[in-house]
Amino acid sequence: MHADRTNRTMLLLLAVLLIAAGLDAGAASIGAFGAATRHSLLIANPTGHFIGAQGDWLWPTAAVAALILALLALRWLLALLFSTDRSGDLLIHSGSSGGRTTLATGALTEAVAEEVESYRGVSSARARLIGDPEDPELVVTATLEETADFAALRQRIETGALTHARSAVGNAALPTQLDLTVTTKRSTRVA
Amino acid sequence: MRLANRVLAALLSLALIAAGVLLIIEVIADRVNHRTAVVNWRPAYDWARRTTWNEGSIRVTCAVLILLGLVLLIAELKPARVSRVAADPAQAGVVGIDTAYTRRGLAAAVRSAVIGVDGVRGASVKVKRRKVTVVATAAVQGTAPARSLRDPISDAARQRLAALQLRRAPSVSVRVTPRSH
Repeated sequence: MHADRTNRTMLLLLAVLLIAAGLDAGAASIGAFGAATRHSLLIANPTGHFIGAQGDWLWPTAAVAALILALLALRWLLALLFSTDRSGDLLIHSGSSGGRTTLATGALTEAVAEEVESYRGVSSARARLIGDPEDPELVVTATLEETADFAALRQRIETGALTHARSAVGNAALPTQLDLTVTTKRSTRVA
Repeated sequence: MRLANRVLAALLSLALIAAGVLLIIEVIADRVNHRTAVVNWRPAYDWARRTTWNEGSIRVTCAVLILLGLVLLIAELKPARVSRVAADPAQAGVVGIDTAYTRRGLAAAVRSAVIGVDGVRGASVKVKRRKVTVVATAAVQGTAPARSLRDPISDAARQRLAALQLRRAPSVSVRVTPRSH
């Protein structure tokens, strides 16, 4: 997901902090906190005096806080650069207690995409499995040719490839998203 | 917006890492030998000791901060542009599949239908949450022939939208311009 929710939250927080800092300093600048504050020096305020008086322990504490903040920011950056929402291999639950079957997600998604692409009127298709391997979601994108019968093709994909995929993972209620797009380019494939 | 957010987030996280590391280095350097190490922050400290709140530079800085914050806040709170237009679940082949047309796909489907109308030279289509706007160019000059294309274009777009079997068919707005020369 590239930490999209975290990105938005942090940017909203940054926006609020910028506005709050601007309004606070602006209010001091135009005299909203009194004429004395307006004509006083930037560091001549209770916060500045506190920092000056308590520097012995305050700056080491600030350094520790900075270390924690930098580590959290590093984790965020790594999530931004390297995270993926794709599921790992799926564990197929069978009725019998013995044995263990795993299904490689690549094999499943390739098979789904190939089946969808084999339908007349589909120009191309791709599939991916996202989310927790215990509770994955299948996302399929099919590009339809402009001359296709869209409604019939949609039904065929849903009742064909997507239903087969659900059977393969042994979950008839597998959450599934089908994104249809339309292209004006003709497929070069010979059906 | 998501891509812009990712770029901004990467820059913000890098800035936080850099600021955190610099602060740690400077605190250690100040404790060990009472000198600055990487950033010479003493001139900034001296500047703060001789600057009052009512100076112009402070007001300009405040205005810039508020403006930046507002731009960022509005950009983040603005509703995302529709990326998927849901297909009618009542027409689904199987229950529980979330089927939708992409915004671009829908625009391409409507555009191809509009282009197929006799007398249309080209068209562009914009898809919003509840409205599809078609701007078509007639193959002939003159406003009267262009105006006569409005209904056929509108019908073609509506027929294509009906064929897509959407959950809620968007309204269609058509504007036809005559060929310029």
